[in-house]
Amino acid sequence: MNGSVPVESNLEKRTRDTRLGVWALLGVVSFLLLAAQMAPARTAKLYVQSREAMGTKFTIYLYAVSEGQAEAAFESSFDEIERLDRTLSNYNPESELSRINRLAGREWVTTDPEVFALLQTCLGYSKRSGGTFDITVGPLMRAWGFFRGQGHYPTARELEQAREKTGWEKVQLNAATRAVHFAVPGMELDLGGIGKGYAVDRVVGILREAGVKVAMVDAGSSTLYALGVPPGEKGWLVRVPKPGDRSKTIAAVLLKDESLSTSGSYEKFFQLNGRTYCHIMDPRTGAPVEGMLQTSVIAADGTTTEALSKPMFVMGADEGAKYLASFPHVAGLWVTGKIDSPQVAPWKWPGCMGDCGNTLAGGGERKTKTQ
Amino acid sequence: MSEIDRRKFMGNAAGALAGALLVAGCKEAPKSVAPYSGPQVRLGVIGVGSRGQELMRTFLRVPGARITGLCDVYEPRFAAGRGITGEETPIYRDYREMLAAKDIDAVIVATPLSMHAQHVIAALESGRHVYGEKSMAFTVEECDGIVEAVKRTGKHYQVGLQYTYASWYRDTLRRIREGKLGQITQINACWHRNNNWRRAVPDPSDKKLERLINWRLYKEYSLGLLAELGSHHIGFANQVFGGYPESVVGSGGIDYWKDGRETYDNVQVAYRYPNGQTLFFSAITTNALEGAQLRVYGTEGSAVLTEGDAMLYSEAKKLKASTVTQVLIDHGIITGASYMPEMPYRGKGEAVPVPEDVEGNANFLACESFVRGIVNNQKPEADEQAGWGEAVAVVLGNKAIEEGKRIWFRDYVRKKSGA
Repeated sequence: MNGSVPVESNLEKRTRDTRLGVWALLGVVSFLLLAAQMAPARTAKLYVQSREAMGTKFTIYLYAVSEGQAEAAFESSFDEIERLDRTLSNYNPESELSRINRLAGREWVTTDPEVFALLQTCLGYSKRSGGTFDITVGPLMRAWGFFRGQGHYPTARELEQAREKTGWEKVQLNAATRAVHFAVPGMELDLGGIGKGYAVDRVVGILREAGVKVAMVDAGSSTLYALGVPPGEKGWLVRVPKPGDRSKTIAAVLLKDESLSTSGSYEKFFQLNGRTYCHIMDPRTGAPVEGMLQTSVIAADGTTTEALSKPMFVMGADEGAKYLASFPHVAGLWVTGKIDSPQVAPWKWPGCMGDCGNTLAGGGERKTKTQ
Repeated sequence: MSEIDRRKFMGNAAGALAGALLVAGCKEAPKSVAPYSGPQVRLGVIGVGSRGQELMRTFLRVPGARITGLCDVYEPRFAAGRGITGEETPIYRDYREMLAAKDIDAVIVATPLSMHAQHVIAALESGRHVYGEKSMAFTVEECDGIVEAVKRTGKHYQVGLQYTYASWYRDTLRRIREGKLGQITQINACWHRNNNWRRAVPDPSDKKLERLINWRLYKEYSLGLLAELGSHHIGFANQVFGGYPESVVGSGGIDYWKDGRETYDNVQVAYRYPNGQTLFFSAITTNALEGAQLRVYGTEGSAVLTEGDAMLYSEAKKLKASTVTQVLIDHGIITGASYMPEMPYRGKGEAVPVPEDVEGNANFLACESFVRGIVNNQKPEADEQAGWGEAVAVVLGNKAIEEGKRIWFRDYVRKKSGA
């Protein structure tokens, strides 16, 4: 059922499939086709496998010397993704996060070192980002109708009630006992803004341990990690699509041993009285961000890129660039304005801008444009 | 789980404030609650493989539990284990060295099945309580040996039948014992998967490593699907029927995954219990439609239990005899073609409610109960008797498949209760 397949046939099928991905990676697909054809016989072949987890589809592309090696690597990787889904899901009532959400409003809840460390990381990002990264925005999302699948402009009272149960600073951690407590009952944690990136990093660690040197780990196309480089190439080509039109490229980059995350406002939104409200909240105002279409960020690992992409979205290009500058080896890209006339603002973007053509494909030199 | 017990245990968590508060926003917690400051239970782990690691993570969610020893024969497990504990946990390459350490109160045994008895009995004899993975042991004699060791040492032994602690299992069992489903005559249970049941081996050409990591597939270490998957269902059936089977027939084979494995890739067994009741269990590795479930059939109703919930269904009401007027006789009875298909019931059932404070992962509830039992000096519910019952049935079920004949428990079991 989950057998590994050499990438050619699968990708040919997938390139015909307009449901492919969410809004990135078209470039990766065509590049992989080319790379697979170029892979010498009797050496490593490119394999791919996908599974659904964490509310999206994870796809892993990897080079392996045999189907057996590929199968083993896929199995370990997807086992880990599924384990993290069982641990961090806030939909599954049996998950560790659900247990914390159920109990932490009334007692200190001891958790395991991994979950505790992840919560510490989250609160660290919240503090550092001035609260623009916040794993407690669930009540706000609910007040704006995003959990019901339809928009709702909340009343002042509804908003006030939601804000009472929101706020990273109301999450209390006790390191000595690895315990979590909510200062206000009714709060809830949602790791949707970091969990996929963390899972990507865990998988990269497993692939490295399994001896895989070259791979692309793709969490629903919103967080990617490029491990090594395909044979004969200088990096994994990733294209950033125009918001709302995945067939058009607005920037591209070659990645090697680094991650890229993208956040966008055009997948989930509602319109009311001529205004568009997207599903990404500004925790500081309690309202959805307006005027931002898409952000992409490159950093050393998936946890970091995913944790940076939403604050970038919330802050906008000017404030966001200052925030990114406080991290080492980071680059970003903002797409603002209207969907039919987007404005692109790169910051230390190491790839090409515009449709890029074949500038980077096939091992082109990595170009740097700095704003 | 008794709520009173849980409150007593959690009461320790509401003691004095311990450790420095790392409060993100510098707000103090309400004074009525404080982090756990009760006694610690220090755990040593023998077998830090995938199941051992999952147990470690789960135990570390229990207030007061700490992992203070890691024992394995495969070197990479130590880094993995320390990655989970988040500290430089002492490591041991020989379980006897770990049992000689002074900073261990209890031992988790998550080794291959054929090694369970050796590790469990040694840990008990060293004065430690034991959480032992199911199935309890590899042979009937070894099962007896663990029961005797528990009796001799007076230490706790809890077998890894975690569903014993799941609230939906407990509530269903209570309803069954209250007679809500009438007389239970049969349980149909299955654990159906669609995968090769293999673990990834870093170097597939290393045969020794293959046997070490995929021990479930080799008869030297494993009793296969019946042990690794069926033991949960057998344990529950033993609770429902209030005893142990008296005979078993079975079949199985290596019919799809012909990849060098020695244990069956599909098994089907039927256990008969003394009061004319039957447990049918099936495990396949080629189709996952049914997943893991138990269907309990009673004369008044049915229960369907899964890893996450339970549903109850009532049988159609049986009509009582009633009188008929003379009109029927005078008019006569009209004849015609008729057929009423006996379709399976596809209506709604009644979900077994899960109270909020005992909701959650069965593994967590089992681990929490084990630690609580040590702190409060309470014997585990999934104890050596429960373990003996499922494990002996696993051993003899495999024997029935191997020999292709009915196996009578009385021919192999020294003492019926195992006590």
